[in-house]
Amino acid sequence: MRRDELLFERPTELFASSPPELRGLARDDVRLMLSTPDGGNSHHRFRELPDLLSPGELLVVNESMTLPASLPAVSKRLGNIRLNLSTRFSEYLWVAEPRWSPGQPGPLDLEEGENLTVDGSTAKLLMRYPGIPRLWLVKFELPADMLMMKIGEPIHYGYAPAYPIKTYQTLFSRFPGSVEMPSAARPITDRVRDTLLGRGIGITGIVLHTGVSSLEIEDETVEHQVLYPEWFRVSAATANAVNTAHAHGKRVIAVGTTVVRALETAWSGSSVRPCTGDTSLYVHPGVGVHVVDGLLTGLHDPVTSHLAMLSAIAGIDRVKEAYNEAVEQRYLWHEFGDSHLILN
Amino acid sequence: MITSRTRSELNEVASSAERSAVKIAAITGDVNDPVHRRRLLEETMKMGGVSLLVNNASELGETPRPELVNASLERFRQTLETNLVSPVALIQEALPQLEQTRGLVVNISSDASQVGYERWGIYGSSKAALDLVSKTLAAELKPRGISIVSVDPGDMRTQMHRDAFPGEDISDRPLAEVTLPFWAWLINQDPRSITGVRYRAQGTLWEVPITA
Repeated sequence: MRRDELLFERPTELFASSPPELRGLARDDVRLMLSTPDGGNSHHRFRELPDLLSPGELLVVNESMTLPASLPAVSKRLGNIRLNLSTRFSEYLWVAEPRWSPGQPGPLDLEEGENLTVDGSTAKLLMRYPGIPRLWLVKFELPADMLMMKIGEPIHYGYAPAYPIKTYQTLFSRFPGSVEMPSAARPITDRVRDTLLGRGIGITGIVLHTGVSSLEIEDETVEHQVLYPEWFRVSAATANAVNTAHAHGKRVIAVGTTVVRALETAWSGSSVRPCTGDTSLYVHPGVGVHVVDGLLTGLHDPVTSHLAMLSAIAGIDRVKEAYNEAVEQRYLWHEFGDSHLILN
Repeated sequence: MITSRTRSELNEVASSAERSAVKIAAITGDVNDPVHRRRLLEETMKMGGVSLLVNNASELGETPRPELVNASLERFRQTLETNLVSPVALIQEALPQLEQTRGLVVNISSDASQVGYERWGIYGSSKAALDLVSKTLAAELKPRGISIVSVDPGDMRTQMHRDAFPGEDISDRPLAEVTLPFWAWLINQDPRSITGVRYRAQGTLWEVPITA
């Protein structure tokens, strides 16, 4: 797939810079675009979700909880910077992204072996992540969990300030470990969940601890993008629920791209198996999807691996048509924005 | 502690480690030599005992790589000695130290061990046997607290890869650095939770078996 196939125009005023709660709305008041297999798109409120699904269908949510993973750091040569944690290898060893500030990424002129100072302790930049030069393997002198508790704030970017950490949790956040909110389930409120369950729509969970957002793909060939690993777990109970839904001919709908990654990693060739570890699976049209029959997600940036994943599920033409319509209808982008349900 | 037959390469790696303030000993020699192996383990003993043993030393065998029906049996035996018997010898001899440290053994494998590529029968079969050795040792040594994994690093731009494809341009293969995140991940796992697993360092899944 060529890079320019994932290109689309989207004015920056469509970035949601605050959560709906601060815009006088309930979480489930955000908008929801439904894209159906016949290529049609229709427009709803998120709280109508239960009416768009059928009894027996299964929603799979990410139960990971968001950490305050952005740390202030000092470089002797560059001064004050930020260190956004991404993937945890141990208490002391993380993949992390040094940035100038929330709004300003790199490049930063950092050197292998350089020591940053974080709250008076050392964070050593061991090496750049192979194939992803903006990320580093970083060795902390103190446990990063402790540093986050003391001085961490939620990772945020130029289009939004940092809000209290509970802004970044969903109804299903149970296992701490994500550095950015798995945001697809954010609009699911108690009343939406209860209506779903009341209608006989199942909800089950996986855990995948998200890393930092990916940037625009730079390579001309979309599939050449290197993705870093993320920790995940698909339990036996969840694997059973997914396989049972399929056995009854019912759709399995991933709530978020993280769930697609976890479930597709756990695909054995004939069913989903219980599985845990670190996955760097890149779901793109060349790989396809075997488990998910639909995806409930937000709206993603142009030329990203997330869009390649959407194309793997629905085909690039349907995705482009839906995105054109989302721009026309002035849907809001990013983690506090509107939702998109893609069914196959 | 690192060892290799080629002094110049060994010293290069040792000084690079020293630049990162890693205390390292480098001893030149052949792992097929029992006297050399004994010396290695005497030194590691002085350094506090082996907690991680990486059996990386191996040879391709005859080049250009022959078909099995034409292969020199003499060279075949020698390849098996280096790639299969010597790693087991080192594990046997390091056992008291590994038991003390509840250590991890990593045996380096190859996708040639699983596929059956033409002209890869010698090297491939030595690595296939090493994979089985890893699995067997994992079962046998579990009660003694020692863990074993097998790691296929994937295609890399190394001397052995150049020898395997003489005259071919292998610059599209990644440098060995591409596997460093995997090694960082591996040494931060609880060895007992991963014993017996075969990993692909450049694969998309680094799995930790779920124990029922």
